[in-house]
Amino acid sequence: MADWAETTGSAEGLSLFRRFRNLLLGALTFFFFLFAVSPLLLIVYVAWDQGKSALNWNFVSSMPSGFPLGSEGGILNGIVGSLVLVVIASALSVPVGIWAGLYLWQDGKSRSAGMVRLLSDLLLGVPSVVWGIVGFYVFSTSTGWGFHWGFSALAGGLTLGFIMIPIVTRVTEQALRDVPMSFIEGAYALGATRWQTMRSVALPGAMAGIGTGILLGILNVLGQTAPLVFTNYYNTGIPSSLVGSQGAVGDLAMQIFIYVHEPSQLLHVKAMAASLVLLGIVLALDLGIRLMTWGSRKIAGRTR
Amino acid sequence: MARMSVTGFYAYYGENAALQNIGLEIPDRQVLALIGPSGCGKTTFLRSLNRMNDFVKGFTVKGQVTLDDVDIYSSGMHPVVLRRRVGMVFQKPNPFHKSIFENVAYGLRIQGVRSRSILSDRVEQSLRSAALWEEVKDRLNSSAFSLSGGQQQRLCIARALAVEPEVLLLDEPASALDPISTARIEELIQDLKTQYAIVIVTHNMQQAARVSDKTAFFLSGELVEMGETSRIFTNPSDERTEDYITGRFG
Repeated sequence: MADWAETTGSAEGLSLFRRFRNLLLGALTFFFFLFAVSPLLLIVYVAWDQGKSALNWNFVSSMPSGFPLGSEGGILNGIVGSLVLVVIASALSVPVGIWAGLYLWQDGKSRSAGMVRLLSDLLLGVPSVVWGIVGFYVFSTSTGWGFHWGFSALAGGLTLGFIMIPIVTRVTEQALRDVPMSFIEGAYALGATRWQTMRSVALPGAMAGIGTGILLGILNVLGQTAPLVFTNYYNTGIPSSLVGSQGAVGDLAMQIFIYVHEPSQLLHVKAMAASLVLLGIVLALDLGIRLMTWGSRKIAGRTR
Repeated sequence: MARMSVTGFYAYYGENAALQNIGLEIPDRQVLALIGPSGCGKTTFLRSLNRMNDFVKGFTVKGQVTLDDVDIYSSGMHPVVLRRRVGMVFQKPNPFHKSIFENVAYGLRIQGVRSRSILSDRVEQSLRSAALWEEVKDRLNSSAFSLSGGQQQRLCIARALAVEPEVLLLDEPASALDPISTARIEELIQDLKTQYAIVIVTHNMQQAARVSDKTAFFLSGELVEMGETSRIFTNPSDERTEDYITGRFG
């Protein structure tokens, strides 16, 4: 950055052509920067502009009511449901993903690790609708060899969890690789076993990166609709069970999808307001994880 | 009396022989300095003594290294046990992201020592041995990274001492430090050799002359000459040793 400022600032000795080229490329860079961040501004602007009239405390704290359903009341079912799904998905993917990441880091160059890496990359590329339909066959349908859980939070949450696993795995592996080798060697040189080294030196050092990975996974999962269409769908209330025919939860992404499809101007506004709430949750989670991994991040910054 | 002895030792990175036919004895309660130009194999040799090269892919050895007559590359000694007996301090200070106290206590904790009083006794004792106690006794709970580079290196020495090793390997322990910190580390080495067998790799020949009792000169993966430091530096028997210590190459 400093170099850039210097070259643009002291154009004195440059030929006219190079001065012109500097200016042109500078302008181009600035334009592309604006272009890259404008969607974020646009998203916030549109959602705020269209949804702000429906946004109030009642909207986030009460269940949908009125006719058509949702024209009065709020989206509490969606908020609770989304959080339930995220908790289930994380409960599956965080331990499995971290464990797999540890394996890839430890055994990195072996043939079986290469295989795990390849498979996990393939999984990252599986379209979400395919996850949904497979999740349906495995967890939800009432016939065949699956679990017969019906459209339920457990079926939806686990499907989302499987989507999250490869994300957590790869980010964990990378975060562990970023822990300086000298710390790892320091532990080994004191007679630490492999497990002790991983637990007391490698994992704490990689915490910030792993936290970011979990967050990435959660954010991905929070916005998923396709996998839920066949495994959980939607519920206008809050279920008392996580499985069975009454086990589906409301879900913000699905709620937005359904509201937008209703021929009602009022529900369109509610959908926009729900988008704002979803954005708010994403932002809160992001800040939360950043705060939680603050110490680890500071340390990582100091030693690299 | 030799604490460790090395006979007919070869080390390879894949196909390349990094060490060839090394034979020497590491005397107890003395300082052995390993000198030689970059790439001569002295660090590889040092790291072979506590099997730290095991983590390098493609690294293999031939020959024998014994600690108290047990071959350290045999199944008779697990690397974890070996490294508790043969401690190591690295070129760059590498304290953990823990408090000063926890850094020194780490080696004991992983051995399952839980008693608070044993831990604090040993931490104090190790920090005293590493000549760091007076500087840190009032802030044992602050981060190890609040210390200066020289203090961090002495902390790493204290950390290695806390597990009560028999041999201490120092891999250019002062090369990243300023002259004053270097002098402190050298003094410390003099104190420590009353209790430990010490092997130090150094690029600095004055340092080797100052701190060591015996000196071994490595060149291109071979041990050219080893003997009393005073003799090596005044009257080397090999021409290559003479050329190196008089600064004709390296």
